[in-house]
Amino acid sequence: MELSLATRAIAEHTVLEVGGEVDVYTAPRLRERLVELIDGGAHHIVVDLNRVDFLDSTGLGVLVGALKRVKAHDGSLSLVCTQDKILKIFKITGLTKVFPIHGSVEQAASSDE
Amino acid sequence: VTSGVAQVEIEIPSRTAYVAVVRLALASLARSAGLDEELVDDLKIAVSEACANAVLSNEDADGDAPVTVTWTQSSDGVVVEVGDRGAVYDPTSTAEEVDSQGFSTRSLMSSSLLKSLVEECEIGPRDGGGMRTRLFFGR
Repeated sequence: MELSLATRAIAEHTVLEVGGEVDVYTAPRLRERLVELIDGGAHHIVVDLNRVDFLDSTGLGVLVGALKRVKAHDGSLSLVCTQDKILKIFKITGLTKVFPIHGSVEQAASSDE
Repeated sequence: VTSGVAQVEIEIPSRTAYVAVVRLALASLARSAGLDEELVDDLKIAVSEACANAVLSNEDADGDAPVTVTWTQSSDGVVVEVGDRGAVYDPTSTAEEVDSQGFSTRSLMSSSLLKSLVEECEIGPRDGGGMRTRLFFGR
């Protein structure tokens, strides 16, 4: 399954909807898109992972890198995820303490984090 | 296959694009073996980690040897072995590398996923050079 990426804006947040599989092959595309967004001035980003079927450590590495980049601009990066199998990956790696994780894009965009 | 030992060997070119092929093939084998869906999800992640490590390890060594994946299923469970011919490294190293753009090179997260998702995980040098990862999933 391919990776799909779609961007939209909600108030001051840029929402990146990710779909499909994020692995060692597709993660570089996710990374490029995030770098483009951040370098283009989007410093409050919501990454919607609800349509992601597969995520491994390469995808996590990209998200952690993007978080560091937005933090350098006093920005924020939060996640939307309600799938147990994806949340499990964040719990195992301790990243639930690093990323604000919300149940919906609306919640994420209205949060101050 | 419902009894005895069944073995499947897959060899992929050492390219990241082929990791998904292994993941799909092994998920299908796991379902045929009657593993429950949560274990299939764990196996897909662990196999992807091991294959990604193998391809990246080959790349680090500028090698082009194929990555070999062996699936062995018995009444006890499933063993997946992934072998490369890349650089030999210390799998217990806890040094996290960060590239020029500040992106993590993922080794710590990869090893914590492997440790948590797999009943037994051994990573060590492979006979003839390279590294070998052995994953055991009990029934």
